[in-house]
Amino acid sequence: MKKPVIEFKDFTFRYQTQKNPTLKNINLTIYEGEKVLILGSSGSGKSTLCNCINGLIPFSFNGEITGSCKVNGNETRDSSIFKLSNDVGTVLQDSDAQFVGLTVGEDVAFVMENDVVPRKEMLPVIHENLNVVNMDAFIDHVPFRLSGGQKQKVSIAGVFSNDVKVLIFDEPLAALDPQMGMTAVALIDDLSKETNKTIIIVEHRLEDVLYKPVDRVILMSKGEIVADVSPEELLKSALLKESGIREPLYLTAMKYAGCEIGNVKNICDLETLELSAENKDKLVKFFREERETLKENDGENVISFKNVDFAYEGNEKVLKNVSFDVKKGERLAIIGKNGAGKSTAAKLICGIIRPTEGSVTIGDKETKDMTVKEIGEKVGYVMQDPNTMIVKDIIKDEVGLALTLRNMDEETVEGRVKNALETCNLYPMRNWPVDSISYGQKKRVTVASMMALEPDILILDEPTAGQDFKSYTDIMNFVNVLNKEYGKTILFITHDMHLAIENTDRAVVFADGELIDSNKVFSVLSNDETIKRAHLKQTSLYNLAVKIGVEPEVAIRHFIEFERGMKADEQ
Amino acid sequence: MNNRFVINYNPGPTFFHKLSGFTKVFMLLVMTVAIISTFDIRILVPLLIINVAIIVSMKPNYKPIIIVFSITFVTVTLIGNIMLFFVSPQAGLNNVGAEHIIWQAGRYYISKEFLWYIFIVFLKRTVSFASVMAFALSTTPSQFASGLNKCGFSYKISTIVSLAYRTIPDIAEDFVNIRNSMMMRGLELEGKGVSFFTKLKNYVLLLVPLIFTAFGKVGNIANAMDLRGYGKNKKRTYYAETEPTKGDKIVRALTVLLLVATVYYVVMYRFINPWPAKFWCPWLSRDEIVTVNAIDTLFFMKWFKK
Repeated sequence: MKKPVIEFKDFTFRYQTQKNPTLKNINLTIYEGEKVLILGSSGSGKSTLCNCINGLIPFSFNGEITGSCKVNGNETRDSSIFKLSNDVGTVLQDSDAQFVGLTVGEDVAFVMENDVVPRKEMLPVIHENLNVVNMDAFIDHVPFRLSGGQKQKVSIAGVFSNDVKVLIFDEPLAALDPQMGMTAVALIDDLSKETNKTIIIVEHRLEDVLYKPVDRVILMSKGEIVADVSPEELLKSALLKESGIREPLYLTAMKYAGCEIGNVKNICDLETLELSAENKDKLVKFFREERETLKENDGENVISFKNVDFAYEGNEKVLKNVSFDVKKGERLAIIGKNGAGKSTAAKLICGIIRPTEGSVTIGDKETKDMTVKEIGEKVGYVMQDPNTMIVKDIIKDEVGLALTLRNMDEETVEGRVKNALETCNLYPMRNWPVDSISYGQKKRVTVASMMALEPDILILDEPTAGQDFKSYTDIMNFVNVLNKEYGKTILFITHDMHLAIENTDRAVVFADGELIDSNKVFSVLSNDETIKRAHLKQTSLYNLAVKIGVEPEVAIRHFIEFERGMKADEQ
Repeated sequence: MNNRFVINYNPGPTFFHKLSGFTKVFMLLVMTVAIISTFDIRILVPLLIINVAIIVSMKPNYKPIIIVFSITFVTVTLIGNIMLFFVSPQAGLNNVGAEHIIWQAGRYYISKEFLWYIFIVFLKRTVSFASVMAFALSTTPSQFASGLNKCGFSYKISTIVSLAYRTIPDIAEDFVNIRNSMMMRGLELEGKGVSFFTKLKNYVLLLVPLIFTAFGKVGNIANAMDLRGYGKNKKRTYYAETEPTKGDKIVRALTVLLLVATVYYVVMYRFINPWPAKFWCPWLSRDEIVTVNAIDTLFFMKWFKK
């Protein structure tokens, strides 16, 4: 008989500040040693559910609970957050923000410090915990010198102790590049196999989590559990689409090809997935079929890098001999792991820094002959987090800020603001306070405030980071309209492979300060060398193509062409 | 982020770097008491020598130290003293207790004691700068926090200190990003032809997003701390507080000695056998010293006294 560790019975929770309950009538039992994925889009209540388990609810967030939630046999509301922290370890979404200590060792020691453990007894435990995540060599490192993946490992070491029965990972993939994400999923899987701990993963990136098997998937939508099934069942059902979760890419391809998926065995794991002869034929045909090819963009160059070197004063070069062009109306992905040089390249375009050697040209002028303000009229740079850009209270004022700062007359400002707001579908909200709108809408406001200057080029830094599939689709549709109807050149700084496949024409890839590849997206994503050096990973399309013996480049190209063709038909 | 100046997050290799946080915080506190309690060159010079020796022993990067020292101390002292000369040339008489005039032009004059006064004040500032610098160079923020706690301060105060240090690099990075994006939108933050007040006004505008992003982080870190048992007990231990080594014990003993000496000095020279003036001066004997009420010597007092 399996021992239940977490039991929800008719559990409902409402935040004090909200009218309606965020969690409704939850009935859920999770057993010892299980590995469970809680899946759901933003606002589905999945994080709230976790906070009920680790005690943040009701001890840090006030609200009203009805029904029962037991962790390790104890009713949570009669316990305390401290008692619960002995049973439940939580790795929060933003592993950067939860880094409390000033060194790795200190951060791992944090729990023990609070437990008044003498230093001598701490040391062996710290080493042991760091060894679990292979980070012992980093014990004296400081948080801001670590990569996202390393920070996350330290966070795991920090909540990992012998007593903890449940480990919760809240969106563990949010801040990681594709390769690190894969490592993280593998690490979580190892923890699950080697210990008897219950593992709960909260995510909306289904495909990435399924890289390693999970026992059960709990699908949440609007505060309720809509499915509590095995991953196999989930993938074969229509539930994903209804709940706004992206299905794995290989599955999409199989559906496009017209495969019958109801009887496919091992559908969760591409490696062991059994393809019937009929399905295989359909796929091969789909991947080989010639379609209307993507149009070559032969427009003029709007940005061109010529043998650009860059180094901060007295330091090593961050960019080495980089040359590439961007054509008018192109959608370009700038890819590379953190520190590879992609944000340096973006800063060079914006004129925030100037090349040490070589030249960056925008339109027909070199950036060294322009001020940052002048470049700002040609290039709009949209930062990842809209909260770091918004300075005014009212949407209209925010969007018009760049114009008023340029002392334009009221009439021009009003006209341009109106245009920008209409382009971004925000005109009816023009007089709303910025605080009252959602994250996705704020993102639009920041784009609109760039559009007000009528730039030809937009640079979007990780436009979809931290977004679920629905807001991802919304943002990308909107950006594509800007590209298609207004002819804007769009540069995406990203490591989201889905984004690159679905929404860009070409990719430039950086690694260690060098431009290692600049080609059509499908070529880049089927080049093993590039994938390895840029910390990307093979998409499941690649693996599917290999499995059925089609060259990955051909397969990915035809997939992209099919999808674009389909989208064109819809419009 | 590189920390080019004095914040080291990892202890360095030298003797003073390796001392425990408590030893260094205790030393700083005692030194501060000793420096505050006296204007006596016989105490200040040895303290200066000790602190300079500590700084030198750590083989630091001297450039930033010298820059800070020359900007803040030399400039402030220079301006201060020139003003003092005009406003109150009798500062020597007030504090040292006599006047041997070496130069005079009408109402303004310079006495040997005035120069002595200036010298001692400068020396005192220099010693406090050196002691703080010796501390800052040798101590990591974690050691600072743990040392404060061990000196008897509540661990909540220690946490404030270490969290502040923890977030400095993050906030600096956010600030740079926000500034860059606003510059592109046309906010004038540098360059010629922009008045100082416009710049100031524009920098204030940057605070809005900076504060909002910082607040977002506060919520996260508070949750992370809750979930890991912060505040569970009345006491807490510190990973950064290393077990006392032989070196620690020696330095602590010497610090206690300094504390005893300071107390002895204060009791002897302030209460039992007090020196008649505020400053001790080598060429003045007890009988030569005149005690003056400092307020009487202010130049405008003569109009009130008629």
